[in-house]
Amino acid sequence: MSDAATNSAGKAMLSARGLHKTYRLGRVDVPVLHGVDLDIQRGEWVAILGASGSGKSTLMHLLGGLDRVDRSAEDGKPRGVIEFEGRAVHALSSRALDAYRSEAVGFIFQFYHLLPELDVTENVALAGMVRRGARSAGRADLMARAQAILERVGLKHRLRHRSAELSGGERQRVAIARALVNRPPMLLADEPTGNLDQATGDRILDLIAEIRAETGLTVLMVTHDARVASRADRAVRMVDGRVVAV
Amino acid sequence: MYASLLTRRYLTSKVMPLLAAGAVALCTLMVLITWSVMGGFLRTLLDSGRTFVGDVRVQWPTTGFAYYEDLVGRLRKEPTVAGATAMIETFGLLGFDDGRMDGVNIRGIDPATYASVADYEAALWWKPIQTPVRKDRKREDLRLTPEWRTVLERVYEDGLRLAEMDPETGVLKPAVVMGIEVSGLSERRVEGFYTPREMGQPTEKGGVRMSRQFAPATSVNISVLPLDTKGRSIEVSARRMPVANEFRSGIFEIDRRTIFLPLGALQRMLKMDEAVRVEPGSAGATGAEDLPFGAGADGREAFAEPRVVGVDPARVTSVWVRAADGVTAQQLRDAVEAVYAGFARDHAGDVPSAELMRLNKLIATWEETNAVLVGAVKKETVLVIGLLFVISFVASMLILAIFWSMVAEKTKDIGILRALGASRADVAWVWLRYGLMIGVVGSVAGGLGALAVVRNINEIHEWLGASLGVQVWDPKVYYFTQIPNKVDPLHAVIVLGAGVGFSVLGALVPAVRAARMDPVRALRFE
Repeated sequence: MSDAATNSAGKAMLSARGLHKTYRLGRVDVPVLHGVDLDIQRGEWVAILGASGSGKSTLMHLLGGLDRVDRSAEDGKPRGVIEFEGRAVHALSSRALDAYRSEAVGFIFQFYHLLPELDVTENVALAGMVRRGARSAGRADLMARAQAILERVGLKHRLRHRSAELSGGERQRVAIARALVNRPPMLLADEPTGNLDQATGDRILDLIAEIRAETGLTVLMVTHDARVASRADRAVRMVDGRVVAV
Repeated sequence: MYASLLTRRYLTSKVMPLLAAGAVALCTLMVLITWSVMGGFLRTLLDSGRTFVGDVRVQWPTTGFAYYEDLVGRLRKEPTVAGATAMIETFGLLGFDDGRMDGVNIRGIDPATYASVADYEAALWWKPIQTPVRKDRKREDLRLTPEWRTVLERVYEDGLRLAEMDPETGVLKPAVVMGIEVSGLSERRVEGFYTPREMGQPTEKGGVRMSRQFAPATSVNISVLPLDTKGRSIEVSARRMPVANEFRSGIFEIDRRTIFLPLGALQRMLKMDEAVRVEPGSAGATGAEDLPFGAGADGREAFAEPRVVGVDPARVTSVWVRAADGVTAQQLRDAVEAVYAGFARDHAGDVPSAELMRLNKLIATWEETNAVLVGAVKKETVLVIGLLFVISFVASMLILAIFWSMVAEKTKDIGILRALGASRADVAWVWLRYGLMIGVVGSVAGGLGALAVVRNINEIHEWLGASLGVQVWDPKVYYFTQIPNKVDPLHAVIVLGAGVGFSVLGALVPAVRAARMDPVRALRFE
């Protein structure tokens, strides 16, 4: 186990051990993660810093339940363990993993990934609909909650706008609102300022910091920018699929 | 909930799904119009037997069979029978005063009993009416006008009894009722009613004088060919008769080629009426070698009476039977066969045997009698509808192609949904629901369009004819004067259901593709 990844004391909220991930490109297997260990404490803001291709986004996808670790060719067992609040995420069924993504984590991406056909409020409410669709949560309730969180991120005046009508910073605020509308305990941010100018990026980081301070949100942020990583409580550096330093 | 939101937004914000819905609408429209017209044509064809001639016919063509009144009486006692009538069906020549001659089907009927198997009264055209035909908005139909009322009441009465009363003597004379397209004297207007046509008449000086002739005010010459009991011709029998009225059945071939005569008059013309039978070779008998003269009781020369040995009863060529309500034509045929068997037993030697009738299929339903025509129409209907369903399947492939490209276009959306926690089944359902919506929108639009077109198909056809000179529905070819314009609700449900089904089918493969998409790759898709 790497000390760099697990320097925090006490029981981690999210714990990863020996994560391996290989992608197949054509006929070639490309190993991306080579036994990554990482612990994240509740309420902590951790930055994963690394160059392009170092495996930081892949790690975030595994931790967020978007992807699964490799399985051993010999016994078919997962090559790595991910635990979230004591639950073995790596062993969850597809349905349980869907629920994990919906309830435990909120994603924000470099390119915002808003649905262009929906307006701002609907984009945010969508996450609530996905989570509660089967339980037929009231649409009005969800829309009200979406509007409230949009007000919190400073977009009260943009509720009925489409994403194409927003600036980059505004789009990322919508993405943050969408990620947090279900009140997940952890935010996974993949290069959240990578597509923004520095000033706008800073305001986004300020917003994340404010929300974290208000809610005790745990933040895992992937970035290649050391200046951005400096906003986190600690930064974990990745090189060639391995965590090498704090 | 979000599936509904996304479906709605995708449907209204892109051109491609509207194109897909348009393809479904066009297919639905095409199939439903074709099925309605072809199916309506078939239904009208089958109904025409019931409405104008009857359900089952007992026939002995050409020479006919005797004791028909007994057969009609027996049939009327059957609970499966609503009515029965005797008839002579033959061919003849119809001569008009302007020199035209035309071959026609002649039906000798008893108007009173004929009304029990066919809607004869309703078919008579010239009679006073109160309500104009649907498109006669200017009320130009002369049947509506008060000044024609007296004339029309008289010709209607004449039509009902197939006789015309001599206004001076009060004597009834046999008269003919012609199909309204037979004489060419009645011209059909686009509004759907008939007016006396303006015809050229030769003048004494060799010129031409134009005048309108009201068909029931004319007379015609009818020539028929009587046959003896062996089917040999005797001599042409011709008679001039006044026209009592005209009828319109809506079946072009009947309206163009059929005339009605009183049964008795036609029997006399065809020598099928009751006649005494004389001993061959006796004086005065046909073929006798003796001189027809001999010494009378007073010793003076007198006609020698042929020796009468019996009576040849009157004959008809067919008996038409109409089924009681709820009785199928096949059930009626079986019942008529049973009745005929008893009739043939009681008149053995004088009428064709039941076995002969059965073997020669001379007791048959209207559909069996017209099996070639009905079969051809049925096959054509099935073929056309089959082809159209294949075209609908092609539309399904079109939807598949459109959806396939839309799934590719929306790959990132799929990744986002998965990142938000949507399951594979949820994603598949978004696309299936999308296909369903396109199917419903397209099918309903197509169904409504088809309903509008079919209901107004005759008007559309007339407009095409008037403005472009296009006549698709030629009554000479298609048998009926009107294009069937009713949509069968069951057909509509099937076609709309198929439209929705094919749309969902078309969306199925792209939906599975979307569901199987790796969310990480989907999010990275450019």
